[in-house]
Amino acid sequence: MELAPFEQKNWGSSRLSSPVPPLCRTQQCCLGIDEAGRGPVLGPMVYGICFCPLSKKQDLEELKVADSKTLSEAERERLFEKLDSLKEYLGWALQILSPNVISTSMQQRVKYNLNALSHDTAIALIQYALDSGVQLREVFVDTVGPAEKYQEKLQERFPELEVTVKPKADALFPIVSAASICAKVARDYAVKHWKFLEDLEDVNLDYGSGYPNDPKTKEWLAKNLDPVFGYPQFVRFSWSTAQSILDSRAVPIRWDDSDGHEKASSKGSQSMLAFFGLKKDDMRRPAHRFFQERKLETARDL
Amino acid sequence: MMCENQPGTLIKLDLGSLTQAAHDAVHLLPCEIQYNGHAAVDKYFIPTIHQGASAKEVSFRGRPLKGQEIKIPAGYVGLVLEENHKPCSEEKGRTVCMKSTFLSFTQWNLETLPSADDCAVMSLMWPKISKAIHQPVDNEE
Repeated sequence: MELAPFEQKNWGSSRLSSPVPPLCRTQQCCLGIDEAGRGPVLGPMVYGICFCPLSKKQDLEELKVADSKTLSEAERERLFEKLDSLKEYLGWALQILSPNVISTSMQQRVKYNLNALSHDTAIALIQYALDSGVQLREVFVDTVGPAEKYQEKLQERFPELEVTVKPKADALFPIVSAASICAKVARDYAVKHWKFLEDLEDVNLDYGSGYPNDPKTKEWLAKNLDPVFGYPQFVRFSWSTAQSILDSRAVPIRWDDSDGHEKASSKGSQSMLAFFGLKKDDMRRPAHRFFQERKLETARDL
Repeated sequence: MMCENQPGTLIKLDLGSLTQAAHDAVHLLPCEIQYNGHAAVDKYFIPTIHQGASAKEVSFRGRPLKGQEIKIPAGYVGLVLEENHKPCSEEKGRTVCMKSTFLSFTQWNLETLPSADDCAVMSLMWPKISKAIHQPVDNEE
């Protein structure tokens, strides 16, 4: 699998896609959506779609595409090559969300949670298929959250489509299994071939599965902490596993927008004596607004 | 430089190295890093800066920053100062050395696009205004 467009900009979000089979533009189609790499604290999350004419559903079933999680890595790669070769009737597209996109979205001032990010990515992929002229009729989606709400959301957004959102859809519908294989192969490839933008001479790549409960992953996170910067962009800073290490072992950071940034005006329990003492600061005329707004102060001490 | 807090204590600024001081890339972040000392800026920060659609972009601790290059006003120079040995007693004079100089720096905002209204840009208007206020008027009309 070639992920060059993503690898060149692995701080962002990239879409990769197969050519759209001409048959999909003339016949009614079904489309499956699945994701890979939602849980890990490392690497990108990949959303995949696969689509084919309704008349080809049977062909797909005969390919014996199963839920990607039950297959070995080699089997998944072989199946992806197979799926990719069915150019006359099967198309696919991927959206690769880099760990940096995940971290920065989830840690925006106005929090953009992972579910919303996932839903928006799925919606954009369906829209991509529609915009490419695919005659969509049925959409099957795998879900991790509550299926009903997600189904409602998608159905409302695409009233002309028949939307089915189900947990474990990747095991139930071959078109979702196919999407799941595309997503999983891309995720594995991206992690395996990750190019660190950071200038880390000899970064140890023995990080295990990337899942927060994997002892190897935990050890890697503990060992590869930089006290100021924390981690390379390969790590999802927004994961609680990473956060708790940062909170306890990295240099504290106070952001301009963080709570309690406003100077703690501890007027509550001021000593009576404080009113009688001569306060140096009070003797000084407050600076003009011009200086206050620009945070300009006379240097008094180092 | 006189310290108003400790009258009589002098801080000596060693300008001897001004001409040969290296230029340093300086970054102003929208947060307070509660730490003083070396930071692996060249390893973690510089290589991850990229040109976004309308500004430079980078992330710090997983938060998105947008930045712009700000020039130091003409006739001025930015100094990075370093105090190598803090004196043990308060009466002793302190010496601050020049580590490097800079003629521009990158100012980073949390999420928002940099603009001419940013504090750092506006504060650098002061030299010009100061000159206008304080320069002797030499010609009476």
